[in-house]
Amino acid sequence: MKQAHCIFEEDDHRWLAIARDPSKPGHIIDTNEYVVVKGKEALLCDPGGIEIFPSVFSALSAECDPTRLAGIFSSHQDPDIISSLALWLEFKPELKCYISWLWQSFLPHFGGEESTFVPIPDPGMTISLGGLELQAIPAHYLHSSGNFHLYDPKAKILFSGDVGAALLPADHNGLYVEDFGRHIRHAEAFHKRWMGSDKAKRDWCERVSRLEIDMMVPQHGAIYRGADVQRFINWFSALEVGVLRS
Amino acid sequence: MNAPQPNLHVKARGSSELARIVRVNEEIKAIVATAFRINLMALNAIFLAKRAGNAALGFGVLSNELRRFAQDLTRNMSSLRDMTSGSVGSVTGVVQYQRNSAILAEAIRLSGEGVPGAREARRRGAARLSAQQGKLRALDIRLRSAVEETQQLVELGGVLARSAKIEAAYGGTFSPALMQVSTDFAEVIAQIKRSLEILGKERLVKD
Ligand SMILES: [Fe+2]
Ligand SMILES: [Fe+2]
Repeated sequence: MKQAHCIFEEDDHRWLAIARDPSKPGHIIDTNEYVVVKGKEALLCDPGGIEIFPSVFSALSAECDPTRLAGIFSSHQDPDIISSLALWLEFKPELKCYISWLWQSFLPHFGGEESTFVPIPDPGMTISLGGLELQAIPAHYLHSSGNFHLYDPKAKILFSGDVGAALLPADHNGLYVEDFGRHIRHAEAFHKRWMGSDKAKRDWCERVSRLEIDMMVPQHGAIYRGADVQRFINWFSALEVGVLRS
Repeated sequence: MNAPQPNLHVKARGSSELARIVRVNEEIKAIVATAFRINLMALNAIFLAKRAGNAALGFGVLSNELRRFAQDLTRNMSSLRDMTSGSVGSVTGVVQYQRNSAILAEAIRLSGEGVPGAREARRRGAARLSAQQGKLRALDIRLRSAVEETQQLVELGGVLARSAKIEAAYGGTFSPALMQVSTDFAEVIAQIKRSLEILGKERLVKD
């Protein structure tokens, strides 16, 4: 069963990580979902697939009133990211879904009306949440051609979608990266294969290096904290990506 | 990587509706194909009657009637088909809503019944589902009355086939051939009757 862990809290501003599900069927990739709560509003980042909806919903409900959900931030169009959309809308039809303009007409295949979608332009945009100004940061071609990360300048948290993802063995079930060297081995093959563009990768590394980041939270695997964030950026910028075999 | 947990899979109940509409469509297709056969058979019978001349005048008239019957049947079936093909949308809607509300129900069960918004979501889901089911029920009624109408038409076809058999007896040297043709007619009409009976029993939506 999934559980929500509070990874940041300051007054009425919280980040919840619904991470690492040991009870999920083995044939489904393990995903992390994140909830940004500010005051009476909440934003769900990459809500995940249909199969895991019940466990994500109940984990979220345990920590936050689900009727406060104002929107869904979808880093890109993959099924493990957003195929549960129809179910969230079943719970709350007026939810807004933020997604790259590129995928705006593709996502309705998962559910939603025209009014559901808020297209994010290529340079990114600000998403307001209970007075908070969250930034949709471009991460195109990493790995999707229309791809965004979400930066919270107040909490100094960067939600990085598939970037930073690690496919960890079952016994590596900690919430945070504890030993970068050991951890990153499980991220290497994934980044080499999934991340298609070296130029896009360099652009992203430069862009996020300018941000103040305490935590980088990916959609798969463990969370990078403190110095591990920069360690990751350095590692990634040196990695050869877009290769079929390592 | 992780141990599977079977109760994470929420089974949707709705897919039987889609299976039913597929069965209805298959039955309709079977009748359309048979109607086409009757049409050809009637054409052959008309030629046969012409060759038999005076001895098969009555048979010739009946063959013409059977041909008209086959054309009426085809028309009836194509309007039935329009009805069901339009309903695939409603059926899919039902299947989707049922699946979604089953998964949502499981989510609410896991979260505890007191979770805010649960009651509203459930009420909304039920309202949407019943609207879709209402559409299907209305279609069901139309479909049933169309099937009944077709059954009456086929009764008439049965009478024509029986009469053709009687006429065949007066066919002189052509009698065995005419008898064979009229027996074939009777058989395919019986086949259509069976299909219509099955069709009449199918319901697109359970009461
Ligand atoms: Fe992805
Ligand atoms: Fe992913």
